[in-house]
Amino acid sequence: MALDRKIAYINLTTGEVEVKPIPLDVRRKFLGGRGLDAYLLLNHSEKGCDPLGPDNPLIVSGGILTATCASATARTHVMAKSPLTGLLGSCNMGGFFAPEMAWAGFHHLVIKGKAEKPSYIYIHDGEIEIRDAENVWGKTTTDTQWAIRDELNDQEVKSLVIGPAGENLVAFANVMTGIKNAGGRTGMGAVMGSKNLKAIACRGTMDIKIAHPIEALEYNKRFIDQITSAKVNKTQGTLGTPFIWGATNSWGGVRTRNFQYNQCEYADDIEPEAIDEICEDTMGPYHMSGCFGCQVHCRAQYRIPSGPLKGTYEEGPEYTSQGAFGGETDTPRAETVLVGNHLVDQYGMDNLETGSLISWAMELYEEGIISSKDTDGLDLRFGNDEAVLEMIERICFRKGKVADALANGGIPASKTFGKNAFDYLIQVKGMSNLHSDERATPALALNIATSSRGSDHLRSRPAIDLYHLPEKVLRKIYSSPIPYEGPLSSEHTAYIGKAWQVFWQENCYMGVDCLGICKYHTTFLGATLPNFEDWPKVLYYNTGLEFTPEELWDIAERCNMIERLFNLREGLTRDDLAKGDMINHRYFDEPCRRGAPDVVGLTIDRGKFTVMIDEFYEHKGLDKKGKPKAKTLKRLGLENEPSHML
Amino acid sequence: MAVDTNKLSDAESLRKTRTYGKFRCHNPTCMGRLKPKPGDKHVRCPVCTCEFRVAWIRPDFPRIRGPVWEVNKKIAEAAFKKKMEGK
Amino acid sequence: MENKNKVLMINPEKCTGCRLCELVCAVKHDGVSNPARSRIRVMKWEMDGVYIPMACQQCQDAPCMGVCPANAISRNDELNVMEIDYDKCIGCRSCVAVCPFGAMGFNSIDRKVFKCDLCDGDPQCVRFCEVEAIEYIDADDVAILKKQEAAAKLHATSHKVALKEA
Repeated sequence: MALDRKIAYINLTTGEVEVKPIPLDVRRKFLGGRGLDAYLLLNHSEKGCDPLGPDNPLIVSGGILTATCASATARTHVMAKSPLTGLLGSCNMGGFFAPEMAWAGFHHLVIKGKAEKPSYIYIHDGEIEIRDAENVWGKTTTDTQWAIRDELNDQEVKSLVIGPAGENLVAFANVMTGIKNAGGRTGMGAVMGSKNLKAIACRGTMDIKIAHPIEALEYNKRFIDQITSAKVNKTQGTLGTPFIWGATNSWGGVRTRNFQYNQCEYADDIEPEAIDEICEDTMGPYHMSGCFGCQVHCRAQYRIPSGPLKGTYEEGPEYTSQGAFGGETDTPRAETVLVGNHLVDQYGMDNLETGSLISWAMELYEEGIISSKDTDGLDLRFGNDEAVLEMIERICFRKGKVADALANGGIPASKTFGKNAFDYLIQVKGMSNLHSDERATPALALNIATSSRGSDHLRSRPAIDLYHLPEKVLRKIYSSPIPYEGPLSSEHTAYIGKAWQVFWQENCYMGVDCLGICKYHTTFLGATLPNFEDWPKVLYYNTGLEFTPEELWDIAERCNMIERLFNLREGLTRDDLAKGDMINHRYFDEPCRRGAPDVVGLTIDRGKFTVMIDEFYEHKGLDKKGKPKAKTLKRLGLENEPSHML
Repeated sequence: MAVDTNKLSDAESLRKTRTYGKFRCHNPTCMGRLKPKPGDKHVRCPVCTCEFRVAWIRPDFPRIRGPVWEVNKKIAEAAFKKKMEGK
Repeated sequence: MENKNKVLMINPEKCTGCRLCELVCAVKHDGVSNPARSRIRVMKWEMDGVYIPMACQQCQDAPCMGVCPANAISRNDELNVMEIDYDKCIGCRSCVAVCPFGAMGFNSIDRKVFKCDLCDGDPQCVRFCEVEAIEYIDADDVAILKKQEAAAKLHATSHKVALKEA
């Protein structure tokens, strides 16, 4: 049974391991995955704990549906207090790790303490060992995985690892599995590094009993048909996420030269089709690959087409890498994007944060806030491809003043650089923004401002807002499972009704993250994909648990509130640009200069933005300061947190 | 059984309203329908006058690529100037 | 019988490595999710991006049948499939050792060998593989399809050569 998967508490200081079942009443309140992670984080961390100290709990999980007979249940979630933001640290990744962990008997790991020397955890069929990792310390992410397989003499072992960036405590080091699947954001790799934990290796051959196997199989077929027939997923399966770049850069939604422009001109070389051609040339016509049990297969394969690393195999690049190493730095050259993507994967650091901070440093260089003396002679100007790739390496190994400062994250670096460096930093809650430019899309601006883990497009973005769906269609989506009769607008530049859309998406994404399935299988990029109404069936057939769509909505709302409680405990305040629900002043002050004629000249209206936040808080049951009202906590059953049920 | 599998969910019923085979202008508030003539390398939006490059997957199957940079850049600069004057 | 000549044709080039075939195989046969119980397994060379699904080839001169001391393995001509008679099987695992494809599995929980039975003519791995890396087709067609594929490559090459010369 999926429900008999256990939780393990591992203390790296003492080597003690305690295994417990996950009670059904906890499941009914938090399901699993990200939701239960948030509950565990709130309950197992002390206020103000040091993110890189031994007391910060590192929580690794699969969702309640992980490895069951449902579509794309591949997602691994990792949580801890973030060394980048000092608030919620949270990342989610595809690949094959969480299913292997589930077959090995576990859904959640809570890892505390600090190992005396480099170590890794090996989990196999219910057993947990802490092993010596001296031999793999210093190795890249892929080398580490293959070395662990060789050491354990088992090529089926799946590992979650950190690269050199995690070891060097780069504040945005990620955790990785496979070639490129990364839990990229909020620096969970640095938390692992701080614990001397190089990897978690899993190997499982334990049955997960399916409650109603024949029905689950049949329903899964229908579910998959629904998912693969969506046009957006067909495109995903052909071009991967780079497909988003095409229209977005065309209309002017791509942050360029840090925040100077909203479109990267003459970017033909990194257009999705151009990248697809490289994939095809180097890997043949069938160059897409998939995560566990997923038929969208959005992960492209390529070999670096030219330059010193020519012929090196890599996967991706994602939309994020196009922006991070092409758009923001104004270096729209395929080789730069593909090599940059490869380097961050090998070093184990977040491509988004890395590219965004490099482009910020480039603007500071242009403004004279940092000089070539600070960069040890590196010409850190926009458009300098070599400088981008050089900076990736320097940040990973903390070489030189600028790179070492950047490795600590944007806000600490802005203090090192001094002057008004902070004004140029495009971040929310200490985490850099995606390269998307939200000045023409208030709903998306609200999303990044209020996202629980800092600026983020995967926590509440109503991406379908750009499709100009008829209001009737919007209403159909956004008034279920909870009735909504307020205003909705098909216009992406409007402010009305957007707060509800963001609130709805926040719950929708929490839902999939608790289930352990991928966001491409829900209302994210496609309006016709499954959500609350479809999930009860999958849950019932696979686990035997009965839920109504409304109950799942309540769970999602509850889990989001837990994340909010954690952030409030750690110092979130509404208008604080460094730690609150606020975006950089440039969104309000600098109009878009490029792109479609309807987009140029647009800014976010500060007054209307404030009203949107008020509305969003109202939907969430928060007061004007962003704190939950007593009746909200009571309604969600959270009045006694931390309640220590697990 | 607690769950009705025959009822179409909203997502499933919405999917039936989709159209195929044409592409739309990239200008997000415009979204004008574009139908390039066979073999055309560029197509101009009849509504907002933006121009886009066209790639032909098959002789009868066009796909939109990015902007015709020079053309759309001029349109954007003119629109920007006009809007800033209005402020 | 329409299934008489049908075989699983695997095209590794098309495989995305998602392993959904492993999942549905175990669910269909054992009602559980567990790749260790799957009759089909995807072997991977991750650093080359190569994924190859491996399953029973239902050999004409099947080594498993030949080696079985209890005569528990026989050919079902109607489905063109090698079958295990569990009443006769003594669990010696000789068939596991001898299979050139590693397609005979041993389930250490139930202590039984297991292999692909083509789901009695409706292989679930085929049904769920959207990219058609696994197909269930007539053996005669396999040869023709392979010929066509190989010829198409030759054609493309000669076409390129002709273009270059021109």
